[in-house]
Amino acid sequence: MLLAAAIRLAIAPFFMHAGDVGTIYESSVMVLKGANIFDFVYAKTMQMQTTTGLPVFFEGYAYHPLLIYFFAPFYWLFTLIAGQGPVMIDGHYPSLPVLIYPWTPLLLLMLKIPIILADMLVVYILAAKDLRKAKIYAFCPYVIFIGVVWGMFDALVALFLLLSYLTSSRNSFLSGFFYGLSLMKLYTIVLLPLYVVRLFRKWKAFSAFLAGFAVTLLPVVYYLIVSPVSIWNVLVTFHGGRLMGGVNLYNFIWVVQDLPFDLAVSMIPNIVLVVALLYLIVRFGRNVPLLQSTLMIMFAYFLFGKVINEQFLVAIFPLMLLCKECDHRLWVAPFVFIFLRSPFYYFMLPILWTSPVFYGYYLQADDVWRQLQAAGYLQIPMYAVGVAFSLLIFWNLLRVMDATRGGIISARQATDDGAYSKTFDLRGSIRRLATMIGLSRVRSAFSACSPRRSMPSQR
Amino acid sequence: MKLRNRLTLFFVIYIIALSFIPLLHDTLLAQGKWLGYGTGAYQYQSQSYFVLFNDPYDGSSKPHIHVNPSFAPASRISLIEFSDWTSWVNGYNLFNDFNVTMRASPQTLDVTYSGPELVLHKYIEMSPDAVKVIMQSEKEFAAHVEMWRWVMTSINGISIKDVAKPLVIAPTTLLEFTFSDDSLPGLGHGRIVMSAVPSQIEIWPYENGFNKITVDFVNSMMSFTVSGSMEAVGTPSLEWNYSLLPYVLPVVSVTVVALYLLVGRYGRTIKNRATSRGN
Repeated sequence: MLLAAAIRLAIAPFFMHAGDVGTIYESSVMVLKGANIFDFVYAKTMQMQTTTGLPVFFEGYAYHPLLIYFFAPFYWLFTLIAGQGPVMIDGHYPSLPVLIYPWTPLLLLMLKIPIILADMLVVYILAAKDLRKAKIYAFCPYVIFIGVVWGMFDALVALFLLLSYLTSSRNSFLSGFFYGLSLMKLYTIVLLPLYVVRLFRKWKAFSAFLAGFAVTLLPVVYYLIVSPVSIWNVLVTFHGGRLMGGVNLYNFIWVVQDLPFDLAVSMIPNIVLVVALLYLIVRFGRNVPLLQSTLMIMFAYFLFGKVINEQFLVAIFPLMLLCKECDHRLWVAPFVFIFLRSPFYYFMLPILWTSPVFYGYYLQADDVWRQLQAAGYLQIPMYAVGVAFSLLIFWNLLRVMDATRGGIISARQATDDGAYSKTFDLRGSIRRLATMIGLSRVRSAFSACSPRRSMPSQR
Repeated sequence: MKLRNRLTLFFVIYIIALSFIPLLHDTLLAQGKWLGYGTGAYQYQSQSYFVLFNDPYDGSSKPHIHVNPSFAPASRISLIEFSDWTSWVNGYNLFNDFNVTMRASPQTLDVTYSGPELVLHKYIEMSPDAVKVIMQSEKEFAAHVEMWRWVMTSINGISIKDVAKPLVIAPTTLLEFTFSDDSLPGLGHGRIVMSAVPSQIEIWPYENGFNKITVDFVNSMMSFTVSGSMEAVGTPSLEWNYSLLPYVLPVVSVTVVALYLLVGRYGRTIKNRATSRGN
């Protein structure tokens, strides 16, 4: 775990995806100033739509309002050291950012600490089940790249989704609370009907789940009262009316340069997604272990959700590691896709911007990249990888479905994965973690009854 | 048929069917109207011309007119690019000093420039044989318009051999130029007809040709009617072009799906053999 953390801390200050890290930085600055981030994004969108006459959206902060409160405290700590002057100016596509030194590396490190912490907690939780799986997550190049090179925070979604699953059989309030937190990237919303169906008629657990979930919705309610039009536009209209594409079979649409047509075609996967979700929830929702049914729903979303970005797989990666039917090597496809969609040097801007010589190299390389893009050479492998990834997801979905329909999982689950979820003790885990990082001197008192001792793979 | 096979059949057909959408759009819907996309780019494809307005990367191409040669219809050969970066109206830069809004009707793109004490319209009107760029305002304005091409081998009969530095040519309403292109063996002809005689026309040499024509005028309206063509020289070879992508994507989808099915079948055969040995 320390090695995994050290690798991440060493990489974090020197790389970033300018658009995504820029959004978190810009939003953190606004939150500290007390500004309304949704009003800002909505105003930018309106400005773009007025200028172009097209239904285009400003790609800024379009996440759950809670998310920014995971980052803003670390930005505040940064300002205590570096002051409140600008460090990253602009950077929204297609602009390139202006970076101010020597503060850029420190800013990047601080803004990535929540992601690194989430990664480490996932590793810690997985290690309690199977050290090998924890190692896979800890040292997976894809997970490391998304978190500390790109600077995307899907590790937080992964952590909360994992905790929601693990607490589901013991504490429905916590399960609902963690599930609500996992919605900081909105795609896990597809799991809500699954939780509802599973808890239906278990009124006490259902109420507890909803109560936990409701707590996480309080910031949304606040913004719905304060600026309803803005938050609706940013969270619902933007995501609902988004152009399909990403690491999936739908990225062919990038070739079709006709936005109204593209948006109309983008409704096709929505329809198939609804049908697929209904089928899976009705057929498997109640009678299959939560882990498998969660993964089935998420796989269906990966197949028929219209936008699947490179980083989304991180969110279900820990669950896939816990599932015997899933092949975790799926990560290779989105990892390859990253370098087809964005040139590798784009993530190195904090290094390249330190010298006019490096900047010159950047411009030369970018010229070649643009020519490759304009000729369409990159679109072909991107589409091939997108289709291949969709087919591999489909293959995993069929494997999970086959195993559950054959009754293999439901029988085995009671003594394996399901048992882990049933025995997972959040309070105990927190105590053990505190012990490990030196906050407690009672290591031996807890280690004796640790579930890790009883895991066959640990022996 | 087992559920697994039915689902696989559905998904495979779904992938392949969707991959034809770009081709269907290209052949049935894309031609003959302005299409908006990206972060505010517009394009128009006719039988002979491809026009791009507002390049999605850098905001250049206001507009950039390409010709589709009759001997290679999928190729887009640059004819002339109007640049806002290097054009001025009443001393103000068109790119930096004006707020721009764009509205499209099927045949005309109306671009409104709102700037200091002036509202200017740039209309790009499409017809089968030409592209008309009109600059119009309610008030008279002084404009410096730059049109670029890399490169024109001659302009109004003047070749690079005759000129070593920028040359002011006699004011006229007609500019005719020739060009060749690295990507296609052919000889191109371009023609720009202006609605009024400008106060000054200047041509700018660059390496083996001219890369820019600048036109200065004072008026409340000026139109530039651009047309062009390209003739084949020798036998053109097959050249890859972005506009061929809609034809390639179905091939890619069928190939990847076929690979998936083959690998799946091979895997099942191996598994069955292992199972039968085990029994």
